[in-house]
Amino acid sequence: MTTETSTRETKDDDKQINSVVVEMQHLKKSFGDKEVLLDINLVMNKGENLVILGKSGTGKSVLIKCIVGLMEIDYGKLLLFGQDISNLKANKLTELHRKIGFLFQSGALYDSMTVRENLEFPLKRQVTTISKAEMNALVKESLENVGLSETIDMMPSELSGGMRKRLGLARTLILKPEIMLYDEPSTGLDPITSKEISSLILEVQKKYHTSSIIITHDRECAKLTANRIIVIKDGVCAAEGSYNDLENSEDPWVRSFFE
Amino acid sequence: MEKIILEHFQNRKQEKETIPKNIPVIVSHTVVHKFFLEVYSLTIFTFRFFKEVFVPPYELNELLKQSFLIGYKSLPLVAVTSFIIGLVLTVQSRPTLEKFGAESLLPMMVAISIIREIGPVITALIFAGKVGSGIGAELASMNVTEQIDAMQVSHTNPFNYLVVTRVLSATIMLPLLVVFSDAVGLFGSYVAVNLKGNVSATIFFSQIFQSLEFKDVFPAFIKTFFFGFTIGLIGCYKGYNSNKGTEGVGKAANSAVVFASLMVFIIDMIAVQITSLLQN
Repeated sequence: MTTETSTRETKDDDKQINSVVVEMQHLKKSFGDKEVLLDINLVMNKGENLVILGKSGTGKSVLIKCIVGLMEIDYGKLLLFGQDISNLKANKLTELHRKIGFLFQSGALYDSMTVRENLEFPLKRQVTTISKAEMNALVKESLENVGLSETIDMMPSELSGGMRKRLGLARTLILKPEIMLYDEPSTGLDPITSKEISSLILEVQKKYHTSSIIITHDRECAKLTANRIIVIKDGVCAAEGSYNDLENSEDPWVRSFFE
Repeated sequence: MEKIILEHFQNRKQEKETIPKNIPVIVSHTVVHKFFLEVYSLTIFTFRFFKEVFVPPYELNELLKQSFLIGYKSLPLVAVTSFIIGLVLTVQSRPTLEKFGAESLLPMMVAISIIREIGPVITALIFAGKVGSGIGAELASMNVTEQIDAMQVSHTNPFNYLVVTRVLSATIMLPLLVVFSDAVGLFGSYVAVNLKGNVSATIFFSQIFQSLEFKDVFPAFIKTFFFGFTIGLIGCYKGYNSNKGTEGVGKAANSAVVFASLMVFIIDMIAVQITSLLQN
């Protein structure tokens, strides 16, 4: 009986470990004298949409840039898919980073390339064995997913802000990442387009079973997309909970985000 | 916790305020420090180029595209400038040579001037202005709009894709442009000679080729590779490491031209010294 119970507990533990895709322990990051992240501890589970809220300049974007490898952490532990990145060799780390997609605030489309070339760019470099027909099919599928099939031969400069964001998302999704990081996906968009982007994030979660971290200031976006919300204040995670929990928080500062 | 953080920032602020400002020694120290930091950073960038140039994937399509943009698209500007330089040089030199009764040496003098010095240096300066600033501004704006970061998260080596291809293109295309520029400059000279006389093209160009030696052509051609490499590298360095923001784009383009032009003269000076040492 005792053995059975302990085996079950171990299996449950394993499940839990496997279900955690990103974990941060006492993470610190500074730029010269400016300490941006002081002590970040967070966990993201598989398949969940984790929204990170906080004032401008509190290091929300820095946090996700550390996850994708655009910035290095100064101190603390960062675990991706249960593996501590500080103990990993470069090729192993690259392999893990391949499972992560990043949607930039501006979309970051290559403006010297057409929409098709933008989407083909990551494919050509990552999937070396892909045929031209397969690549065309993937490009078309990705564009259909974001509702931009008609823009295939257009240049990014001909697209609106919302279209650029959706295209940025299509380019990221074409590699079928397991984790999606969204850097302020609705910033600078009108409320309708902003809602469209939020719905798209939910569709992506359902269709590709991705786990996502969404950095946003947009209350509506957070309400629509979040399974869980973390609020960052002065470089630490100041509050955590569901949208409803935080909306009714006793801390007036936390509540102010939802007013 | 919040109190501790607040105290921490207040202490930092006080520390900063106690540092005296506008003292010349500190300023000059900062300038020297910045200069050496820049030299160090450029050296690292150069080493990285030589390391990455041999690392696959080799971006041949991008190399060809950049060669087209950097080389072919510069042809009209180089042609017009070289033609004018050849023409003006001939018109200006003629009276002096006439005084000494050495008018017949005009094609030889112009040819040696253009091929040894004026052709490579003027073309390199035009190249620095057009291509160096273009590369600097392009990479800096890619930096501002996070396109370089986007390449990195797409698991493409942005250094390999952007820097290696552009530096190689500049290194290959400038010597070709200089050859073209020399030819157009000499044609400009031929036109100028015929403004006040009637010299056949056969006589004019055969006189030029008879007067030119290997030592006139070869060192001048070799140094253009260094010009091209330096202009491409500095353009990429300034753009790739630019500050974020639109101000950074302007600064990158401007400093790429200034620094590259200065380096053209320095390399030219070194090349002349080496050539004369080897010839003695």
